[in-house]
Amino acid sequence: MSENALFARRIDVLAEIFAFTTAAFARQGVPAALLADVDFVLEELFTNIVKYSRGKAPVAIEIAAIPQGVQVTLTEPEADRFDVTQAPPVDIALPAVQRQPGGLGLYLIPRLVDSVQYGYSEGERCGRIVFRKTSAAPSPGAAKRNGEERC
Amino acid sequence: MLTIEGGGETPVVLSGRLDATQAAAAQSYLDRLQGVVTLDCSDLQYLSSAGLGVFLKTHKRLLGAGGRLRLTAVNRHLQDIFSYSGFDQILEIDPGR
Repeated sequence: MSENALFARRIDVLAEIFAFTTAAFARQGVPAALLADVDFVLEELFTNIVKYSRGKAPVAIEIAAIPQGVQVTLTEPEADRFDVTQAPPVDIALPAVQRQPGGLGLYLIPRLVDSVQYGYSEGERCGRIVFRKTSAAPSPGAAKRNGEERC
Repeated sequence: MLTIEGGGETPVVLSGRLDATQAAAAQSYLDRLQGVVTLDCSDLQYLSSAGLGVFLKTHKRLLGAGGRLRLTAVNRHLQDIFSYSGFDQILEIDPGR
């Protein structure tokens, strides 16, 4: 079982995304303890698209229950290639006065989920991010895929 | 949705979700506070990187004036975010539960 929904590219749509994930988790029996981390990853990915992408078409989110967890797919049409799994490193050991908040979102994503994969279709100009979160212990570091995708 | 109450002589109580849509309002509220500011996070269910940015900016401003930001009663989700981001090394954080 999986559920899909489309979301306009506006920051205020975040509330709709969170309502969708909450309802989909409940309907599919995904453990609620995983919801905050999934919402975090979706927020970081979605706001990144809203801030930096030139496309206008709605973004699709699919949620599918898997054993002990969930697989989430975010599809961005009219996309430029941007591999979110290759985010620049962040020095988290800096003292407060030298810290900057920028870049933390993408840095944290692979640390909060079991896996994250990025794919891009040149022909369709479509980006797709698939991540999995389960009740198993998180495994920092992301699997990466740069193969040709179909949207 | 996020609600913020308190400050001054009492802890600042954050309730709800501190995401990108709420960051500006939270920043505006915290910008008014001085000294050692305690955030009661017992009802803060969710925090994104936008919220981390609010906490960092506030802490740096307070540090510059001899104060600091401290957090109490953070849940597991928040603890993970603080740990993976290194914020647990720059902020005083009391899990509290």
